[in-house]
This record gives sequence, C-alpha cells and structure tokens, in this order.
Amino acid sequence: MRLFLLASLLTIASPFGAWAASPSDLVQQGQYLTRAADCEACHTAPGGTPFAGGRQFQLPFGDLYSPNITPDKDTGIGQYTDAQFLRVLHRGIGREGQHLYPAMPYPSYTKMSDDDARAIKAYLFSLPPVHAPTKPNNFGFPFNQRWLMVFWNLINNPDARFEPDSSKSAEWNRGAYLVEALGHCAECHTPRNFMQAKSSREFAGAIQAGWLAYNLTSDPVHGIGAWSDASLKEFLSTGQAPGHGPASGPMAEAVEDSLQYLKPEDISAIVTYLRTVPARDDGPEVVPATITPLTTAALGEHIFIRACAGCHLPNGTGRQSPWAALGGSHSTGDVTGNNVVQVLTNGSQIETDKGLMFMHPFTGAYTDEELSAVANYLIGQFSARQGQVMPQQISKARQSPEPKAAPGS
Amino acid sequence: MFQLLINGQAHQVDVPPDMPLLWVLRDVLGMTGTKFGCGIAQCGACTVHVGGNAVRSCLLPASSVAGQPITTIEAVGETPSGAKIQRAWLNHEVVQCGYCQSGQIMAATALLDATPKPTDADIDVAMAGNICRCATYVRIRAAIHAAAEA
Repeated sequence: MRLFLLASLLTIASPFGAWAASPSDLVQQGQYLTRAADCEACHTAPGGTPFAGGRQFQLPFGDLYSPNITPDKDTGIGQYTDAQFLRVLHRGIGREGQHLYPAMPYPSYTKMSDDDARAIKAYLFSLPPVHAPTKPNNFGFPFNQRWLMVFWNLINNPDARFEPDSSKSAEWNRGAYLVEALGHCAECHTPRNFMQAKSSREFAGAIQAGWLAYNLTSDPVHGIGAWSDASLKEFLSTGQAPGHGPASGPMAEAVEDSLQYLKPEDISAIVTYLRTVPARDDGPEVVPATITPLTTAALGEHIFIRACAGCHLPNGTGRQSPWAALGGSHSTGDVTGNNVVQVLTNGSQIETDKGLMFMHPFTGAYTDEELSAVANYLIGQFSARQGQVMPQQISKARQSPEPKAAPGS
Repeated sequence: MFQLLINGQAHQVDVPPDMPLLWVLRDVLGMTGTKFGCGIAQCGACTVHVGGNAVRSCLLPASSVAGQPITTIEAVGETPSGAKIQRAWLNHEVVQCGYCQSGQIMAATALLDATPKPTDADIDVAMAGNICRCATYVRIRAAIHAAAEA
C-alpha cells in the first residue's frame, strides 16, 4: 500500500515520466492495430518505403494509386487532426473534404472504435515522414466526380461503429471486430454488387485483382466448415496448413503483413467468429483429404516432373518446405484454375519466420499451351477433377499489371 | 549456437539460424563435397540427406535441421545403397565434368533406399530435379539400374 502511494505520488510529481510512458504504449498498441488492419499492404508500392503509398490498383473505372500515409506535412497525413483521421476511416472523407473511393476499405473501417483509430494515427505519426506525392488517378467521367460518392455512401456505408452482440461470447465479439472492422476480410471475400459495394452474400468468395478469394463461410464443401480449428489457426498465422496447401497472392500478403503478427488469442477469436458465418455453397468445392488422381494429358505431367517436382516432389508433398505442399489446396480444387494460373504466371512468395518462401513465374520458360497443361495436370492430380484451364487464360494473366518483385530485387 | 549431426558426428555451430545448411557445410565446416549450383533449389547440385530424404541444402535454414541426422557426399559411400551407387558410377563412367555428380549420387542413393528396384519411370521422376549440363542422364539411369541389381 505504501509502495502504491509512493508510486502514485511519483506519477503526479513527474508528469514528464507519465507523459513519456503512455504515448509509447499508445504507439505500440497502434502498431499492433495497424498490422491487424493491414494498412501497409495497400499503402506501400512494390519495393517502396512502407506506408509511403504509390501502389497501383486497376479498377473497372481506371487506375488508382494509394496515398502516402506517413506523417509528411505536404504529401502525407502530417496535418490530419484526430477528428479528420476518424472521418477518413469512418466516412471516407479526406482532410480537405474530398471523398475517397472505396478501394480504401472505409465501409469496413467504419466499424473501428475511435480509440483504436486514434492509436493507429499515433503509430503512423511516429514513423519518419516521407515526401511522396500521391499519383493522381485516371478515372474518366462520371467516375472522376468524387462528390457522387455522397450517394454511394448513403446506400453503402453504414457509418456505424462495431456493436458487440451481448448474446455472444467475448471471444466471438473480438473475432467479429477483427474480421469485420480491422481485418476487412469481407472486402475481398464478399462478392460485390452492381455498385461495387459488398453484397449481402457475406464471405461467399469473390474474384479480386484477378485472384479468387475463397468462400469463408461455414459450408463444409465450399467453405471452411470442414477445416479443423488447428488448421485454420495455422493457416492464418503461417500461410499454410498441412492438407490445405499454401496461401498465395493477396492472401499470402495478408498473412505476411498482418495475420502473422496477431496474438494467438486474436487468431482464435477470428476462427470462433468465422465458424458462425452462415453457410453458402458458392465457388469451387474444397479438396477432400484422400483422392485418386485422374490420368491427364502427358504434356502436363512431363513438365511437372521436370520443372515443378524439384521443389514440390512428384507426389506434391513438398520438399523440405510445408509451403511447397500442394495436397488439399483449395486452388487445385478449382477446375477453372483461376489461382493456379495466377501462381504459374506471377509466382508466389511469402516472408515467414523460416525465411522467404517463393516460387518464380514460369512464363519465361513455357508457352501458354504448356502452362495450361501443367495447370490441368495439377487439378487432375491433386483434386481428381477435370481441369478446364485454357491457354488463353495464361496469355491474359501474362499481361498482369503488377508482377511480384523477384526475391531480393 | 546449435548442434548439427553430420555423418554421425556432432558439430556445434555458431551461425545465424537462417544460414543455409549448404553454407555451413562448405564455409564453416569445410566440407566442400556438396556443391553450390543455382542457390534457389532448382538444380540439385547441393543435395544432401536429412533423415534419409534428399533435400536441397542451399535453401534449408541450418537451424531447422538441428539434431536431425544429416548425410553428405563425404560419407554416403559408407551406407549400403551409397556404396552400390558409387561403384556403379565408376563402372559406368557416369561422370563427365562432375560438378553436379555429388548431388546426383545423393539423389540416386535416396531413390534406392526408398525404391530398391526402380523402373525407368521411377528414376526419371526421382532424378528430374537434378540437372546435368553434360547430359549424363543416360549413364545415370543405367548406373542406377546396375546398382539396384548389385
């Protein structure tokens, strides 16, 4: 008790000590929340300074570039007040009153608490300012009329903070907040409607930036209902789980920049919440644990054995890296081969606690016909389904706007 | 500081945990029989065994195999399959320039341990990840068949 009094007196007597301690806690908390909200993934150009913006987004209306969110006063967010920062996260309205496009996931961030938003701001303001003007978008009329977003927002942005559901556990509510507000999982995994807003088909799976973000509902055949808790936790925190294959593309980024930093209790909370997402039967069926491979055309097997089996092994179990294991991967169960084509043409990489796991693109060495044969072989071999990948898909994916930087470049 | 169990001998190594096993073998322990080829696990020149499986040591963090039995080209001849493979290699004069051959022998030995009587197809699949610039593939296949019969 005496010690407590003494401590209290000291705290009162030395305001600087107390003042110095709390902002750094706030910054640390802000860093965790910034990672949970995965701000870095979009606000960093490939190979660029984190948070300095410049990443290109190809949208149906034109190209958009993410802005600089370092605290630079001229080109970043250095002049934002707390109220302005809250307004941009909750309502998608910038400091000068300009309306943001919902490539910025403010219809999700709108659920973020004021305290968490302020902590994120404190963290971003603790970063060194970088002078990096935001590249203008090239939207044509009428999409260049930002004020039209007023109407879009009226319909599509609830502008309401997350409200805990008192009939559910604290863990469920934490998971719901992480998934719906910070993690903004629905931005990719929920199909969009004709207004490019999230539809009511929550987590049914959708194509985003060329990649299929899979069905996350509790459906056991199309979603994650058949995954064990342990597998889901491992996949979310490492980007792979035995019998489920590796994360690739934007999901690998989400694990690398965000999910791998979440505390085990937060990962558990996310799993608890996802378990309760109503089942929907959209998208490709997941791959069952045991399958009998199909015999497919010889060309695909010929190339797989020579070009792929060195790392993946002929039976797909992966040589010395669990991230190279193909068995059970949802991607090989998709007969359209959407994500298999993406991986073959763009490669895949994820920075893990065991080092960088990467696969380079194979477009330099093989023709469209050869790579589509490999894709169909993978689907036949690892999901026992008849792949329907056409050479044209490879040729289209070759013109991908944003090839991943090669390792070390 | 961790322990690597190489060819039956324990080595305490003081290296960054993510240093590739190949670097530890060649640069720290001076075992230069295992070769550096591509450095990206594509060519197979750096193949060694970990727990009897052929792995690419150039991309394998050394700390991830601490305590597991590692066999390199320096000692593979002391295993029954390794001895047969090396004898067959000499009888068939497999080697041309030789740079890839320690990796080829390690891959072939792992194959013979797993599949004592491999078919041509088994050999093609197991050896496909080991590239030979001199194209000694035909002699490699013949020598593996000979070793299987020995």
